[in-house]
Amino acid sequence: MEKYRDYSAVDFLDDESFLRWLSSPTQEENDFWNGFLKKYPYKKTEIREATLVFHLFSSRENKLALTEQYDLWKRIQNESKTSKQDVLLKFAKYAAILVLVFFSGAVSYHIYQDTPIQQQFQLAEAIPAAKGEAMIVLADGSTVSLDKQMSEISYSQDGKQLIVNKDTVRQKPGSEDESINKVIISYGKKSMIVLSDGTKIWLNAGSQLIYPSVFTDKIRQVKLIGEAFFDVAKNPKKPFIVNTSDLSVHVLGTRFDISAYPDDKVIHTVLEEGKVSLKYSANGILGREYVVEMEPNQMVELEKATGKVSRTMVDVSKYIAWKGGLLEFEKADLGRALKQVERFYDVKIFLPDQTISSYKLSGKLDLKDDPEKVLNVIKLTVPIEWQRKSNGDFIITKK
Amino acid sequence: MHSVENKSDERMLWTRFLKGDNQVLSLIYLQYSNALFDYGCRFTVDRDLVKDCIQEVFCTLIRTRKNLSETDNVRLYLLKSLKRRIIRDLKSASGKPRLLNDQDYSFDLLLSDSLDDQLNELDEEKRQLLSSAMLSLTDRQKEAIYLRFNRGLEYEEISFLLSLNYQSSRALIHRAIEKLREVIHVQQKKINQILFSILCCDTKYAFQHKK
Repeated sequence: MEKYRDYSAVDFLDDESFLRWLSSPTQEENDFWNGFLKKYPYKKTEIREATLVFHLFSSRENKLALTEQYDLWKRIQNESKTSKQDVLLKFAKYAAILVLVFFSGAVSYHIYQDTPIQQQFQLAEAIPAAKGEAMIVLADGSTVSLDKQMSEISYSQDGKQLIVNKDTVRQKPGSEDESINKVIISYGKKSMIVLSDGTKIWLNAGSQLIYPSVFTDKIRQVKLIGEAFFDVAKNPKKPFIVNTSDLSVHVLGTRFDISAYPDDKVIHTVLEEGKVSLKYSANGILGREYVVEMEPNQMVELEKATGKVSRTMVDVSKYIAWKGGLLEFEKADLGRALKQVERFYDVKIFLPDQTISSYKLSGKLDLKDDPEKVLNVIKLTVPIEWQRKSNGDFIITKK
Repeated sequence: MHSVENKSDERMLWTRFLKGDNQVLSLIYLQYSNALFDYGCRFTVDRDLVKDCIQEVFCTLIRTRKNLSETDNVRLYLLKSLKRRIIRDLKSASGKPRLLNDQDYSFDLLLSDSLDDQLNELDEEKRQLLSSAMLSLTDRQKEAIYLRFNRGLEYEEISFLLSLNYQSSRALIHRAIEKLREVIHVQQKKINQILFSILCCDTKYAFQHKK
């Protein structure tokens, strides 16, 4: 701390840890700099100036639209395909290594087993669901856009053909380990997907699902970002696993709902029938793994930051009402409820006064109405007012 | 925005790519495509040209993989080769490539008015500040500042991209920051003056009423 005593604004802007603090502050750094200002209050103007200069530049950046990003990537892949022969040779070498590793130990097997599917998962995860762009991305990188409010997608048993809103799409034949497909549903839309094994999945607004077009592995694995309701086809020989950012759900055949949006603090799983076990690890990857068994009509909530888990008995229908275009709440936090409204209508709702977000909301919202009507219904039960700005954003204030 | 990329992750991706793992390139692409695109758009308003150049950068990366080494800084390598390509293309498009040297380019720190750019009052003030500051900076200074604050690069990396030595790039940034501070001072004085005059009027007004 001492060394900053005589720093000027320029010196601060030259300091790596100061810059790091400005760009992505951690609690620790906040404490450090607050402590510093307390100790050396006369440095306030210098720090203020440095911060001002820095923030002049933290303006918005030029970004590729999601489709542009995809198209560009496809162009790169196509152009470099000329050297495919070379790649195949290397692939064969890889396969040989894989076989060796297989025999040499379970630990390394685990690492390699992760590669193709997990990488594809990571890849899809890194792509944000952009505004108004809902699509299926097929294994070869081609996309089928989903322009309906509610899209229906179903796969043939061999995974080679799929029907999207009554149009048949043929997957280009490729090797089986390249069969990963993804569905990206933007805010304001929904989708129903029937996988090759007969499992039905309702995907809620602003969510992504990544899955193989046909399940060739010993386990059926998919990855979910956002919320979905699963009706898993029974197959005792092939367990079904839903992976989310912080936990995974292991099932044989059952119906349940998971909500794991990246911008929510809590992941919840609601079980309608059957039995599932949840696995999650506290404190990141290195922490030990925990398993929670769930019974029907239970909801398990996992707080992402703390790893705290709570279990409650709930009315399942309230949590899956979104499938039918309804939202049902029972003493739900207004903040969380409005997040769902946001996703459904693809609008932004701001709560300048955070105390509002802990208001409790009960009742049913019909999402066939426009967002104004929905907010008016909410207004009847909680003391709030809303305004719509010219850019379409909503502002909620206390009454 | 300052990009905080995990150094060891970056290393791991790079090593795997060099060993022939092509799948990992998609991750590298995802991690850097937007940063590259943003950097490229500072040299030209032609988005397609920037995209073409990004395509070339990655295709070259695949082709020349054997000549790359593990110690290479991925991000820096990508930024540098993108810049080289864009400047080359801009030069040849200008019709007089011989007359321009490699340091002749303009660099835009201000964003063009995108439609969804909803600036509130505070941002408007910030923008005015920024635009008057921009007039007082050279293109090289703008680029250095951009690399430092928006891309979060270190001085060594900035010197490499600007083909300068460490000391000069440091001096370049320092001078630029000093200039920005001056602008802020002037602007604040102006604001203070306005405030002062309003206050004066008010008191005068008040006095008149007392009489």
